[in-house]
Amino acid sequence: MNSIALLGQPNSGKSTVFNALTGARQHVGNWPGKTVEKKEGSFTYKGAKYTITDLPGSYGLTGNSDEEKITVDYIKAGHADLVCILVDASQLERSMYMLAEFAGMNVPSVLVLNMMDVAEDKGISVNAGELSRRLGIPVLPFTAADGKGYDRLRDLFETELSSPHLLTSAPNLAEAKSLKEQGEAKYTWITQMLEGVTTTGSLDYKMSRFDRLATAPVLGKFISIGVILLGFIVAMAICMPFMMLGSMFPVLMNEPIANALTAIHIHPWLVSIFSLLIPNTLYFSTAMAAFVLGVNLVFGYLEEKGFIARTAYQFDGVLSKVGLQGKAVAPILMGFGCTIGGTSGTRVMDNWGQKMLAMAIVWAVPCGSIWAVMPVISGMFFPWWGTLLVCVGILAYVFVLMWFVSLVFGKKLSPVETRTGMIMELPPYHKVHWGHIVKEAFYKAGDIFVRAFRTVIVISVIFWVLQYSASGSLEDSLLYKIGTFIEPVTKIFGLGWQSFMTFLSSAFAKEAVLGVLNAIFVGQSSLLDATFHAKTSGVEGMALAQIMSQTIAPAEALALIFACTFNIPCVMALSTTYRESHSLKWTARVAAFYVGSALLLACIVYHIASLFM
Amino acid sequence: MKLSDMQKDKCVRVKSLGVDAHFLNRITSIGITEGTTIRVVRNDRKMPVLVYVRQTLLALNREDCEKIEIEEVA
Repeated sequence: MNSIALLGQPNSGKSTVFNALTGARQHVGNWPGKTVEKKEGSFTYKGAKYTITDLPGSYGLTGNSDEEKITVDYIKAGHADLVCILVDASQLERSMYMLAEFAGMNVPSVLVLNMMDVAEDKGISVNAGELSRRLGIPVLPFTAADGKGYDRLRDLFETELSSPHLLTSAPNLAEAKSLKEQGEAKYTWITQMLEGVTTTGSLDYKMSRFDRLATAPVLGKFISIGVILLGFIVAMAICMPFMMLGSMFPVLMNEPIANALTAIHIHPWLVSIFSLLIPNTLYFSTAMAAFVLGVNLVFGYLEEKGFIARTAYQFDGVLSKVGLQGKAVAPILMGFGCTIGGTSGTRVMDNWGQKMLAMAIVWAVPCGSIWAVMPVISGMFFPWWGTLLVCVGILAYVFVLMWFVSLVFGKKLSPVETRTGMIMELPPYHKVHWGHIVKEAFYKAGDIFVRAFRTVIVISVIFWVLQYSASGSLEDSLLYKIGTFIEPVTKIFGLGWQSFMTFLSSAFAKEAVLGVLNAIFVGQSSLLDATFHAKTSGVEGMALAQIMSQTIAPAEALALIFACTFNIPCVMALSTTYRESHSLKWTARVAAFYVGSALLLACIVYHIASLFM
Repeated sequence: MKLSDMQKDKCVRVKSLGVDAHFLNRITSIGITEGTTIRVVRNDRKMPVLVYVRQTLLALNREDCEKIEIEEVA
């Protein structure tokens, strides 16, 4: 077996190397029984197959976090034939600590001095030959973000797997009894190894002008928010052309397919599946993939540049209250634009638990579509100042919901004992290599396209079956029958059957809400058209408002608005969350929580509002 | 003196890191041991303290900085 494990501190470039080596041939899951991400992949080089495991990132191996235990167990069990240790060449003195921690383990290894380009920019040189002689293992100067030079790494793996080397030097821990002495012994060893090999020990540090502003207490927060919002605009600009192309699918495919299939006397059921469902699913999937592409390009850039670390520094104090790292501010802000964007933005989080918790919290943020749809509905029932109050109420509840989410899921995803104050490095601003960012972004977008298509198709078919009516009248659909059957129950939450149907459709897409209301109350278009065309145009606001206000009391309308806003964001966000977390269990848990809490909220809103209205 | 009380642009040496094993592990693995010299880069109220140590800019939260006893060096 040719099994290689990648070991390194956060920011050592492990994932970049892993992605570049494995490309699409990777499997991401969780370590058994742990909320820690497990990344495995494989590649073939000169006819031989290699498997590669990206060990969880941690700064050391002595602690008892899940990440550290998994890494130590994995290496000690002999699962890796070769351990590739990555260190940051521009800050060797500190990042070599991982090598010092590994030193006692007696497993063949190689040392990769990553980010040589950054080191050179900082005027740091490293004598790799001398370091290799002292350590007894090969030392490779490397720039992982630069796509070139990977064959040198593969060659190194090939040679070392056939004639491996063990470290010939290790920290002297014989005298070191306590934790403190061991730590000091490790750094003493590092200093010895690096003596004359590279420049160390200087305390000269001059902050760049931009960094002085970016780390300022108040101004820095505005800069962070500004940059993320700008990033969102750029991401939108990237995804717009793709989205527009995607929106052509239903327009161009609907009629020709419908006509062609009707002409050859295919059952109308199948006609609407092929002419309406599939083109619209293609559109949804394209839009999603485009979003994921844009967000990954922008966040990939900001992350590699080193900017995300600054936002983490700025917002750690606030977000630690819900159990999140400061970095989560970026995906959360992005969530105001689009939940899919926010969800895929959680890529910046350090570990799986943080990522899952950040996604669950991003779901609470009302996206752009909500702000477009809910005020319209509110306006049908309430005067302008009432709508304003509704919007303020929605915003205020966002904070309550975030706190509620953290209360329910925080303990498991971000255990209180691991919620320590921030100790992290702020990496120097890097020159950004676009090649691998673009490659990874397209890979992710392609992947999400395929998965989204499958998920959306399944859910669409379910919805289609539910709303199908042989006579064309809504009263003959399953949806109506189920809806009216369970109405006594939904009434407890303040929702009549029409409102409840609308609530269900809001989990599909928020844009669908107006269309569905229109189909139910005005009945001019079919429910299916309403949901899939998902347009607000064509909805006769006046007529709808008039008919709705006859059936729905203001208190129910208010309950409906809140329930729809804080329901599952949309089927695409659901599928992105599954893609990012690769945990069906957790995605389902979070989804169930949102449906439940939205209904509970509707219940509270309805009964309180009934007292006054 | 504590690290959290130190003004920016001062260089300090770590005298004591306390006895909490969990904290010791974390702070050691990111580059700080007793005897390490540190440059304080930024120390603003209510914000983590920014320090430069072993070629690295680090952000350390205030609460932890209160556990770090230091002495000023020239």
